[in-house]
Amino acid sequence: MSSHGGTSNPEYVNARVRSRRAALFEEDDYRKLARMSPAEIARFMEESPAYEEQINALGSRFSGVDLIEYALNASLAEDFEDILSWCEGALYGHVARYLRKFDAWNVKTVLRGVYADTDREAVSDDLIRAGEFDDRLLERLLDADSIEEIVELLSGTVFGRALGDALDDYESTGVLVPLENAVDRAYYKLLRTDDLTGEALSEYREFLEAEIDFRNAINTLRLARSGADIDPSEYFIEGGVLFSAAGLRQLASNTDELIQRIRESRYGEELSEALTELEAAESLIGFERALEVALLEYADSLGLVHPLSVTPVVSYVLTKEREVDNIRAIARGKEAGLGPEEIESELVVL
Amino acid sequence: MANDVKPTRKNLMEIEDRIDLSERGHDTLEQKRDGLIMEFMDILDQAQDVREQLEADYDTAQDKINKARAMEGDVAVRGAAAALKEHPEITTQSKNIMGVVVPQIESSKVKKNLDERGYGVLGSSARIDEAADAYEELLESIILAAEVETAMKKMLEEIETTKRRVNALEFKLLPELNENKEYIEQKLEEQEREEIFRLKKIKAKKEEEEKEEEEEREAAAKAEAEAIETGVAESDD
Repeated sequence: MSSHGGTSNPEYVNARVRSRRAALFEEDDYRKLARMSPAEIARFMEESPAYEEQINALGSRFSGVDLIEYALNASLAEDFEDILSWCEGALYGHVARYLRKFDAWNVKTVLRGVYADTDREAVSDDLIRAGEFDDRLLERLLDADSIEEIVELLSGTVFGRALGDALDDYESTGVLVPLENAVDRAYYKLLRTDDLTGEALSEYREFLEAEIDFRNAINTLRLARSGADIDPSEYFIEGGVLFSAAGLRQLASNTDELIQRIRESRYGEELSEALTELEAAESLIGFERALEVALLEYADSLGLVHPLSVTPVVSYVLTKEREVDNIRAIARGKEAGLGPEEIESELVVL
Repeated sequence: MANDVKPTRKNLMEIEDRIDLSERGHDTLEQKRDGLIMEFMDILDQAQDVREQLEADYDTAQDKINKARAMEGDVAVRGAAAALKEHPEITTQSKNIMGVVVPQIESSKVKKNLDERGYGVLGSSARIDEAADAYEELLESIILAAEVETAMKKMLEEIETTKRRVNALEFKLLPELNENKEYIEQKLEEQEREEIFRLKKIKAKKEEEEKEEEEEREAAAKAEAEAIETGVAESDD
């Protein structure tokens, strides 16, 4: 974990992030990758400075698309770890707030590993060490033999309280759902924007609100489509601007009204096409993808108005994440025998 | 084999009884075979539909999991799968179709609600939900296909067995029994003819003997009459 005292240093971090951003893959690169075999994609990545080290380091342990996926995750982790290490003061807090999603990922991965009795090395490979947790804590989590031990080890972290509260539920039901939901809820609670005041942070606040609104919308639609008798307000995440817990309960029983609510919101224009598709189709995947595109557009516009704030850093974080997702999608798509056009249609590119 | 059978009336009656029984059995088995074939054709239609559904479900499930692995990553998909410990269960019962015992498979815990799949709802995606949905559908299709195709296989085996029995009666047992019957009938007729012939012979011999005896008696009487005649003449002299 980096030291994060002192004053904010957005000028320094933004300068470094700008050079990294310049090295990200372009749309043309994705088009080229979509026409390559997985082995060629791995070679292409080996020639890219962002992935060269990870491909070489993991080449002896993994092969094929697994090598690509693990190298992408490792590159993502190292990149974000670097960014956190450059940040000082309030900037660190703003960036770490978003990157804690990888801590949440790691906690869930470790919980699932113990639950399914997976061997330590396999669980360790699946961690994405891009959050705030240091290696020592992660190693101790990996050494844990029981769910209770993991909850105990995390008691001093941002997830501790939520996990402690959900432990009884886990013990009575025997399923991980309460613990996983507690971890995600704790993460989304950290995203709440109450402390993001001032004009410079307004775009970041809007972005985080959009992320929470989109998550609430997609989760409500998922619950409504599943047909299960689940109260959507139990899965409501505070911090957005579009829904309230009570309103969501009502909207879940009438998805047309839910879609109308999104259409009339500040996201309506961007999501209009996806909402029309959603009304006609059974699948939520297209809508989920549209939400990802909308978030990426938010991210892309972040930092244009206030270039010396946290927003260009967050924008880079999202764009790098999207690059990793796109390369993985291309490699996995090739592995599954999908054609270049079909793969390109799944990519999220601005 | 006809030569192994003793040509007696008792055996003939026994064979006639067996022929009667076999013919009735043959008719019954033929009816059973035809009934089984009709049932089989119904199950075959059902099996073809189930198989087509199974293949479609498999393609959908593969497509969904491939896209989930592509967009969410293999690690995320494996992680979501690892969060589930409760496996589906199946129980088998049996039902009877025209004497053929076929399985009836009941499944439980295949279709799960979103909150029963083990992974958290808040941090997962619709892609993983849809892949899980598609695999649950596929599993249900597999269970149905297992039930229908096992029934079809058992019906087919029973049809084959019944067909073999009908053929064995029609082309082996009944011809042999009829051959034996004919053989015995021929032998018995032969024996009857021989008996008649023998009786005729005896009768002829008896008549000949009687004739000879008559002739002897007549000759003796003649000789006696001649002797008496000669004695009278001598005395006259």
